[in-house]
Amino acid sequence: MRILLLEDTTGLAEVIRDQLTDAGHAVDWVQTIAHAKSSLLTTHYDLILLDLMLPDGNGIDLLKQRRQTGDKTPVIILTARDQISDRIDGLNAGADDYLVKPFDLSELSARMSAVTRRYAGNPNPLLTIGELSINLNERLISRNGTAINLTAKEWALLEAFIQRPGTLLSKTQLEDHLYAFGAEIESNTIEVYISRLRKKLGKEQLQTVRGMGYRMATT
Amino acid sequence: MKNTTSLQKNLSVGLTLAVALLWTAAFTGAALVAQQSLNAIFDNTLRETAQRVMPLAAVDILNRANGASVQSIMSLDLQDEHLSYLVRNHSGRILIKSHNADLSIFKQPKQLGFSTSTTHRFYTAPAVQQTLFIEVAESLVHRHQVIMHTAMALLWPLLLLIPFCFAGSWFFVRYCLRHVADYRHAIEFRGSGDLSPIDASKLPTEVKTIADAVNHMLARLRRALELERNFTANSAHELRTPIATALAQIQRLQQQVSDKAIKTDIDKVEQSLRGLANLSEKLMQLAKAESGSLLSAHAHNLVSLLVFIVDEYRRLFSQRIISLAVPKTDVFMSSIDADAFAILLRNLIDNALKHGNKNQPIHISLSDDGVLSVINGCALMTPEQLTKIRQRFYRINPSTPGSGLGLAIAEILVRDIGAHMTLLSPATGRKDGFEARVEL
Repeated sequence: MRILLLEDTTGLAEVIRDQLTDAGHAVDWVQTIAHAKSSLLTTHYDLILLDLMLPDGNGIDLLKQRRQTGDKTPVIILTARDQISDRIDGLNAGADDYLVKPFDLSELSARMSAVTRRYAGNPNPLLTIGELSINLNERLISRNGTAINLTAKEWALLEAFIQRPGTLLSKTQLEDHLYAFGAEIESNTIEVYISRLRKKLGKEQLQTVRGMGYRMATT
Repeated sequence: MKNTTSLQKNLSVGLTLAVALLWTAAFTGAALVAQQSLNAIFDNTLRETAQRVMPLAAVDILNRANGASVQSIMSLDLQDEHLSYLVRNHSGRILIKSHNADLSIFKQPKQLGFSTSTTHRFYTAPAVQQTLFIEVAESLVHRHQVIMHTAMALLWPLLLLIPFCFAGSWFFVRYCLRHVADYRHAIEFRGSGDLSPIDASKLPTEVKTIADAVNHMLARLRRALELERNFTANSAHELRTPIATALAQIQRLQQQVSDKAIKTDIDKVEQSLRGLANLSEKLMQLAKAESGSLLSAHAHNLVSLLVFIVDEYRRLFSQRIISLAVPKTDVFMSSIDADAFAILLRNLIDNALKHGNKNQPIHISLSDDGVLSVINGCALMTPEQLTKIRQRFYRINPSTPGSGLGLAIAEILVRDIGAHMTLLSPATGRKDGFEARVEL
């Protein structure tokens, strides 16, 4: 997933970024609302992690602006403000979830998965696609009952397809999904990961549409 | 002990006394006027009697032979007569007297006109070129009796009216002070945490100034407490963020370390950090609870808040069963501050989660009449334990997780919002378990 992390506390932001990167996500970390606006202008994000008390304003205001413009990107608020009125304000402003600091990194991952599944229209973490059985919560996948080991990047690529079932994804979209700003990407990186996934999941699961991109089978 | 006075009582008694005093003065004046008028009438009667009797007596005396003895005139009708008379000649010899004339009161010839002895009132008039004198006497006792009867006739109605006057004054004063009484009740029945303005629009001008001053003071207090609450919230933010950072870093470190001994040590650090986070959380809640201002100016629906918070717990503790019962209307309006209610409810649910049996459900309910109940399964508790768990930092079993502050915070919140909390074991309708009941 391509994630925008808006958090002004360096220590916490670095840990979250590292944790999510290790899980195969692409994280763009910014510390101000102004920088967040710039990033949102140029990049499509699958999820926004939003702190509220920021140096140049309140994260709620940014969220309201995004929702007013019709942006439906899932947003999870990460904040130290724990009052029920703050939570209600946050959810009313259009947040999909609200996580109060301090929180477990595993709790953050679970909330992110739940929110993105809801956004994709399938809140059930257990999926069956053809011969594949997938548990998105536990990050477990098996083919005809045989467990398959995927690396973090392979999982991230698989999640990109699962989030958009049957949708054709271009190479650029997949690169955006997997890599943050400034990451060095080899020209054939996506092809390499697609190839590895095909070997593990079965050739028929990932179709190539020549010159256009890739699509995952829905059944 | 401080004595307090009732304005209604003082005004009623004062008004009644004032009216009674005025009535007494008016009565005294009327009685004096009546006395003077009656005396004038009686004197006139004396003079009329003398003028009517004298011609008859003179004719009778002149027709008599010289040296005739004293003639006593008999009454035609024997009755209690108040007038007596006699007729003397110029030498003072009594020639005629009425049958009831007591000569002892006619000792000396009187001066002409009216005169008074200690017992009688006299009128003396001359006739036949001052050769005959008639003296008519009337008992003063009779006069006094008549005057007293007249005075009593005036006094009794006034005496009978005094209780009615007191009752009338009481109700009138009560009517006039009804808005003051409403104001007093509004202050009496609000909890110590209610700093919302008190309606003073209907108060009399004399008291409205005081009420306005009280409202201004409440507004200033609200602002001060709001600043304090903001400070607490900001402090919470400043404290939570570094704890969150440390906890996240420890969790990352845990993932990267494979050595079991180091993992165990990291676990301990993580547990300490969680304990610190929990304790700081409770202390912040305690600070909020003690800062007051726990009632908002406008009522809101507590059911939606209750559902929101319980849903959050169901998601966080998906392995536990949490049941919820709310009024059929899904509405229970209250002016309890939303954050205060959330802190109260969270502490009660946290208590049930931490100290209740893990394999038994937690039942949460809010009744139509505003009774919030949180029930968890546990062994029967003693009355002494039920008393002590309200105290800060008290824990029945020190090895169980928790700060020992949850119920103490709930107790403060309940007190400040003017509610009442009862702790029961066994829980209602059960033979064991624990129930916290809050009458909102």
